Amino acid sequence: MTRQDIEREVRDIFLRAFEIENPEMDVNLREAYGFDSIDAIELLLEIEKFLGSELTQEEKKQAMDIRTMKQIIDYIEMLAAKRKTPPEKNK
Amino acid sequence: MRERRVVITACSAISPIGYGKEQIVESLVKGVSGVKTLREDDLISPFIHSRVYGTVSYPIAYDFSRQHRKTMGPVAYYACQVAKDVLEQAGLPPEFVTGGRLGVAFGSIHGSPTVQRDIYRIFFEAKDKASFQGIGAVDYLKSMVHTTTVNISKMFGITGRIISSGTACTTSSQSIGYGYEAVKYGLQDAMICGGADEYDTITVAVFDNLLACSTAFNDQPQQTPRPFDKARDGLVVAEGAGAVMLEEYEFAKKRGATILAEVIGFACNSNGGDLILPNLAGITKTLQLSLENAGINAQEIDLVSAHATATKMGDIIEAQAAGAVFGPEPYVVALKSYMGHTMAACGAIETVLTLYMMQEGFIAPTLNLEDIDERCAMIHHVQKLIEHPVKTAAIQNFAFGGVNTSLLIRKLT
Repeated sequence: MTRQDIEREVRDIFLRAFEIENPEMDVNLREAYGFDSIDAIELLLEIEKFLGSELTQEEKKQAMDIRTMKQIIDYIEMLAAKRKTPPEKNK
Repeated sequence: MRERRVVITACSAISPIGYGKEQIVESLVKGVSGVKTLREDDLISPFIHSRVYGTVSYPIAYDFSRQHRKTMGPVAYYACQVAKDVLEQAGLPPEFVTGGRLGVAFGSIHGSPTVQRDIYRIFFEAKDKASFQGIGAVDYLKSMVHTTTVNISKMFGITGRIISSGTACTTSSQSIGYGYEAVKYGLQDAMICGGADEYDTITVAVFDNLLACSTAFNDQPQQTPRPFDKARDGLVVAEGAGAVMLEEYEFAKKRGATILAEVIGFACNSNGGDLILPNLAGITKTLQLSLENAGINAQEIDLVSAHATATKMGDIIEAQAAGAVFGPEPYVVALKSYMGHTMAACGAIETVLTLYMMQEGFIAPTLNLEDIDERCAMIHHVQKLIEHPVKTAAIQNFAFGGVNTSLLIRKLT
């Protein structure tokens, strides 16, 4: 999964679930598009579906500081990389 | 505590007989019923004996942004639309709307049953943990019992009091009554009050199981319900929403608001016993208490909007109570005859329709009242449309749980 794949998926989620078309990369999503805490929870569910894997409570808490599209993509990239890493190396 | 006068400065209803004043008045004048055949729900509808439903069968052009839609089930769409209407009609200044002196008293019988049903479907059909992801983060906000109230406050940025009565058929009459008291005693300067309920076959099943639903007119939906008629055979469940804007009189007058009527009295009591059977003593007491609250005589009432669901016993008890308190003079109309029982919305819708009749100077007849049951004959039934001024009206509603309300409104001259 490339960063481009992730970005395409996130843009698709934003359009489909939040009716936000082509959000800018570095703007504060709440200020620019009214993306609020309810949307953030919905986004986490969408990310779980996309990754085909449940997020831990710890991982979900890490998402609470996210404000921009770029941060969302970074976050998913980090989650995806973690899931590719064999468990023994993850310790 | 100093008592202030409270007036109604706007009203709106979405009902099985139309949306807004023009359509609703036309239906009342022409005697049009909004009762239709029950829709299939792929769930329980095949097992329900009653095949009729008071249906909102026309499209409504909602214009709500996603920010608001995302926490709204069908019931909140109805509620927010009538709330939007009364806010626009009343023309309150934006800084007042958000300033904390405007509150919301609104309700539904149990939030959004459509959303609840989807949650339960997942709950019972889920085969693994992942399946539960189908329950969305906002499903509770869409389905909770105060979903109408808080979606209204969110949509319009209202920061005043929230009252969310959930007392079945007295939900919105309580909303208006408690909103009235909040303004009367200076806790708020204005209140948006009302109620809503969406299309829901579970409610039909509940009344059907209690043998309280109409079943004899399944092939002629518009012939039922038949309040006070000998051939009545039960209620017809319906959907809709109604809202009024209440304001403190001096405040409304000072800003040049159109005053539709004054709320002059309200009473609410409990039967203190059986949760289903209508109670003559309890209902009689409510009507008396509302007259005392308004400080008027029974002779001053021109029109009674009866709760009259067309159940066998309920109509008799109500007629006896109204006859005992108001006497044989005031005209009595059973507005549910046009649309069925809109549940949480009925008190507000019936108040809105009463305001329309007050404004236009006519009294609609009770539909399908062809042969008055002699046990209900002690009151002055309206069987034909009459042109008649209405100065003071009583709107009464009674609910499962043994809750009774009576609201008195008066046209300002």
